Amino acid sequence: MTNLLEVNAIHTFINQFHILEGVSLSVPEGSITALPGRNGAGKTTTLRSIMGLNPPREGQIIFEGEEIQGKAAYDIAARGIGYVPEYRAIFRALTVEENLKIAERSKGDLARRGDLIFELFPDLKRFYHLPGGQLSGGQQQMLAIARALVPENRLLLVDEPSEGLAPIIIDAIVAALRQLAAHATVLLVEQNFRMASQLADRYYIVDDGQTVTSGQMADLVNDRPLITKYLGAGYAGAGLVHPAKE
Amino acid sequence: MLSALRRNRPLLVTLVIVLVVLLLMARRFEPKVTASILLSGLTLGSLYFLVASGLSLIFGLMDVLNFAQGGIFMIGAYLGFTTYANPRLILNVLPFALAILGGVQVGRWLGGLLPARFKKRWLDTSFLILLFLLSLVLLLIGFRGFDLGALAAATATATGGAVATELAQEPAAVYVPRVALLTAAGLLLGIGLSRVGKVQMRQRTQGRTAIVGLVLIAAAFALVPFRTPAEAYLLSVSSNIRFILALLVGLLAGGGLGALIEISFIRPLYGRPLYQILLTLGLGYVLTELVKSVWGTAGYYMDTPAFFNARGDRCPSPNLWSWFSDHCQSISVLGRPFPSYRMFIIALGLVMFIAIALLLKRTRLGIIIRAGVQDSEMVQALGINVRRVFTLVFAIGCALAAVGGVAAAPFLGVNLGLGAEIQLQAFIAVVIGGMGSFVGAAVGALLVGMARAFGDQLVLSGIRLPWMDEAVRMSPSIARASTVLIMALVLLIRPTGLFGKKE
Repeated sequence: MTNLLEVNAIHTFINQFHILEGVSLSVPEGSITALPGRNGAGKTTTLRSIMGLNPPREGQIIFEGEEIQGKAAYDIAARGIGYVPEYRAIFRALTVEENLKIAERSKGDLARRGDLIFELFPDLKRFYHLPGGQLSGGQQQMLAIARALVPENRLLLVDEPSEGLAPIIIDAIVAALRQLAAHATVLLVEQNFRMASQLADRYYIVDDGQTVTSGQMADLVNDRPLITKYLGAGYAGAGLVHPAKE
Repeated sequence: MLSALRRNRPLLVTLVIVLVVLLLMARRFEPKVTASILLSGLTLGSLYFLVASGLSLIFGLMDVLNFAQGGIFMIGAYLGFTTYANPRLILNVLPFALAILGGVQVGRWLGGLLPARFKKRWLDTSFLILLFLLSLVLLLIGFRGFDLGALAAATATATGGAVATELAQEPAAVYVPRVALLTAAGLLLGIGLSRVGKVQMRQRTQGRTAIVGLVLIAAAFALVPFRTPAEAYLLSVSSNIRFILALLVGLLAGGGLGALIEISFIRPLYGRPLYQILLTLGLGYVLTELVKSVWGTAGYYMDTPAFFNARGDRCPSPNLWSWFSDHCQSISVLGRPFPSYRMFIIALGLVMFIAIALLLKRTRLGIIIRAGVQDSEMVQALGINVRRVFTLVFAIGCALAAVGGVAAAPFLGVNLGLGAEIQLQAFIAVVIGGMGSFVGAAVGALLVGMARAFGDQLVLSGIRLPWMDEAVRMSPSIARASTVLIMALVLLIRPTGLFGKKE
C-alpha cells in the first residue's frame, strides 16, 4: 500500500501557542486511520494543519506525492481532500440541497454522487429543501459527511463525528463511514474509542502535540496499559474485541 | 404556517408598527400629503438601501464595516455628474486607467514567464521595493503637470452647451507620452505583483491575461485622438443616453474602486477589525479630499435627463401611465405634483433589490455568499477561493453605492456633504435591520427613509396634540434625530436588529 498522505514532523502555532510540536503520520490509501486521544492533545489542529486552515510553520505535508503545506486551504481542498469539521459545521441558513450544491467542484458532481449520498443517508433526501439549521444533530452530522462526498475526494478528514450524538445515531454514522471507506481514504479523529476501534485499521496516538505511538488498531484494543496511559482509564475495556474483524 | 409566522416575526411586528403609524398619519394629514410623504420616504429609502445593502453584504460576509461606502456614493455622484454634464474629464482620464490596468495585466504575464531561477535571484524583497518605487516614480512623472482641476472646472461652466473644446485639454503630443509612462508604470507593478502573489497562474488564464492587457493598452492609445470628437458627440446626443452612460460609469468606477480598495487596503487587515474600521473611516476622508482637489469645494447642480424633464400645458401628468408618453417633470399624485425623477430612484432601488435577492437566492455565488456569512473558513475548506469572493462582494457593494450616487445627483445635488450624510443614515438602516442581513438592510433603509420624510413633514406642519391650542413648531433637526431614535428603540427591544441573527 502506498501512502496517500504523509505528515512529517509538523509544528503548528495558534497565536503564540506552540500546539503541534512535531506530529508525524502516514495514511495508506484505502484505509481508515484513527487519531484517538484526549482533549487538547492536538488532534483537531493536526487536521486543520493538513487542510491549510492552521498552516504549519515547519515540517512537510505530502498528499499524492506533492508538498501541500503552505498552500491556500481552497487549493488543498481542490486537490481532493474533504473536511468534515468538529461541531457539524454545516451552513444553517442554507437548505440541505444548497449545502450539498456548494460543495460541487464541477457542475454535475451532486447529480453523480446523489445516489450514493441518499443511500447512505436517506434522511437527507426527505429534508432536501429544509434549512440545515432545522435538522437534528445526527442529521446535521450526516449532512456534513455527505457534503464531503459530493466531489470526488480521495481523502476525508473527519473530526469527532460522534460528538454529542445519541448512541443509536452513532451506530448509523459508523455504518455510513464504513461504507464510505470503499470510496475514499479516511483520517478520523475520534474521542469515542469504541467507535474509533470499530472503524479504523490503524491508529496514531497524538499527545501533547506529538505523535507518541502508532500501530494496528487490532493490537491497540488489547493493549490495556497503552489505552490507560493515553486515552484514560475509562476507555480500557471499552472495546476489548475488535468488532470490525468479527 | 405557524412556524412561518414565528420565523417572520420581526417582519410582522415592523409591518404592524408601520401600519399603525400610517393610520395615524392618514388621520392627521390629507391623503395627498400622506401620499407624498410616503413617496418621498420611498425615494430616500431607495437611496439609503443602495448604500446600506452593500454595507450589510460586506459586513455579513467579511466582518468589515466599510465606512468608505458613503465616500464611494459621493464619488459616484461627482463622476455621474461629470459624465452627464461634460464628459471631458472622463474622456481624458479613461486612457490613463486603461493604460495602467493593461500594463499590470501584461506585467503579470511577463512576470509569470520569467524563469524561476531569475526570479529567486533578482526579485527578492529589496528588488521588489525598488520595482514598486520605480513604478511610483513613473506614475508621478506621468501625472506631472496634468491639470485635473482645469478639466473639472470646464465641467462647471458647461451646462449642456458647447464649450471651446481645446480649453484645458492637452494636445496629443503631451498626452501620449503620459499614457506611455503610465503603461510602463503598470508593467513594472504587474511584474512585482506576479512575484508577491506567488500563486502560479494556470497556462490557460496566462494567455488570456496577456491578451486582455494588450487590448486594454491598445484601447488606451487608440482613444487619445478621439477625446475631442467623442466629447462633441456625447454633448450632441440626447441627455437620456448621457444619463445611462453616467449610470454605467458609476457602476464600473464604483466596482473598480471597490476591488482596488479591497485588494490593496482591506485584504492585509482581515482579522483585525479595529484597524479595518479606522482604515475605512480614513479612506472616507481621503475620498472627500480627493473630490475636493479635483472638483473644488463648490457644489454642482445636475439637471434631470429629458426623460423626466418635459414641461408644458399637459404637465404635470395626471397619472403614471400618461407620464410614460409625455415624460413630464412631475406626476400628479392625488392632486399634488410629485417629481417624476424620484419615481426613477424608487424603481432603481426596487430593481437592485430584486437583482441582489435573485443573485443571493438563485446563483452559486449567492449560495457561497450566504454560506460565507456564517462560516467563510468552511467555504474555503470546500475548495472555494473565498478571497476572490470577498473582492467581488466588496466591488458589488461599492458599485451599488456609486450607482446610488449617480442617481442621487439630480435629486440631492452634487456636493461634499453627500457622503457623510448618507453613510450615517445607511449605517443606522443596517443597524436597525440587523447587521449582515440583506432583507434587514432593505427594511431598515425603508424605515429610515420614511422617518426622514415623515419628520420633514412634521417640521413643516408642527405637532398638534388634541389638548393643544396651536401646533408646536420643531427644529428641522428632529427629522435627523428621528432615525437615531428609531435605532435606539429597536436596539433596546432587539439588540441584534430586526433581522439580525443571535450570536
